[in-house]
Amino acid sequence: MFNIYSLRKIINYGPLVLLYYLSISEIDSHFESYFEILSFNIQLIIIYFWAIKRPEVLGNGHIFFAGLINDVVMGYPLGISSLSYLIVSLVATYIKNMTVNTSITTDWFTFFIAIFFSNATFLFLLLNFSEIKITFLDLSYNTFFTLIFFPFFWFIFNLYNTIITSGKNA
Amino acid sequence: MSSSRDDFSIAFRSALLQRGAAQKFSLFSLIILALIIFFLDIYSFNFIKPIRSIINDGVYRISLVASSPSRFVPHVTEGFTNLINIKNENERLKKELELYKQKELNVEYLENQNKNLKKILDSEETFLGKENIILSKVLIDKNSPYLKSIIINRGSKSGILKGMPVLDKEYLVGRIVETNYLSSRVLLLNDLNSRIPVTFGEDGIQGILKGNGGTRPVLEYLPEGYIIEEGLDVFTSGKDGIFSPGSPIGKTFANGEVKLFSEASQLSFVKIDTAKINKENF
Repeated sequence: MFNIYSLRKIINYGPLVLLYYLSISEIDSHFESYFEILSFNIQLIIIYFWAIKRPEVLGNGHIFFAGLINDVVMGYPLGISSLSYLIVSLVATYIKNMTVNTSITTDWFTFFIAIFFSNATFLFLLLNFSEIKITFLDLSYNTFFTLIFFPFFWFIFNLYNTIITSGKNA
Repeated sequence: MSSSRDDFSIAFRSALLQRGAAQKFSLFSLIILALIIFFLDIYSFNFIKPIRSIINDGVYRISLVASSPSRFVPHVTEGFTNLINIKNENERLKKELELYKQKELNVEYLENQNKNLKKILDSEETFLGKENIILSKVLIDKNSPYLKSIIINRGSKSGILKGMPVLDKEYLVGRIVETNYLSSRVLLLNDLNSRIPVTFGEDGIQGILKGNGGTRPVLEYLPEGYIIEEGLDVFTSGKDGIFSPGSPIGKTFANGEVKLFSEASQLSFVKIDTAKINKENF
């Protein structure tokens, strides 16, 4: 009984562990060697999905902290990724408050709004206050592919969510 | 109309300020905190620098440990493929014993090589016979869609300073842009923010090699009407006073792009040339 409870608790932490791991490890989602413009941001998908489906899985503090770690590893000014992640979380929470039932299409559309505001803030702060130069085109490709890959991760995370919640509803 | 505006403001305020049972912090407070940290870091207040340096060193080390599984998997896959190939070869040639012996020798050779490299890395006297050259291991080469940089395991403790050129064998790969006590960040030549004065061709044409975020940086600020020939070797000109003149960089293409001699994604060890900056300090 205790083991099953512990295992369920560990499984519950899965998305949080994945978020931290992607932020701190060398694993990246930039496939320059296969297709030069192919890059996407899995962290934004994780945050949006879990903030809209089960906000208790990812705490706001954890999202903020994962962003700080990402900034250090990537070499961005501290706080910029945190801000970007928190904006995604803010849009997700707002959508959750405003809607009753969501489907993949509504989630997909609203995710576009979330990453638009998130990446716009990222670009605005970086271009206006930092010496780091990034191209609008690279950011647009990243936004586009993040949006394209969203349904794929939505299905995986939805399956995971079903596994987490299956025992609780019984 | 006013009712829908009320709904919007209530939902927005709730999303921004509500903490709920599971959330310890409101989004609003964290957004403000992120903004404060961002501006403190951007305007580089003195008290922030050592804190940032300690955080960087700590996170880089944790990142190195966290990345070990991702490094281990390709090795396992590669090893597995090699094993199958060797087995097939053995069956075909029926020389199992010889191949195993050869493999054993290879392992011994690699072990010896590994021991020697470790000795070099652990030693603070990493001059390798050449003065002012520090050998360093690449800790993290996380590929970002926007920034092309790597983290190395030498910092201000080893005398690394901002601006020092970084080489792979004798080829220039980038320069130091951030130093911490135990680690540093190297901005690679193909990064959008990279600008290097270069010279090439028999006439010693001067230009600036500008990173474009892709795999091949481009030559800019060339003489008016100059047509670039393909296949010319590009070297550092040393005009900036930071890079030693004559470090090879890459070969030209007719469209002005330069194919770098050193593949940025394949870097394991790099050398930092401290000569120029040391002379200037002196």
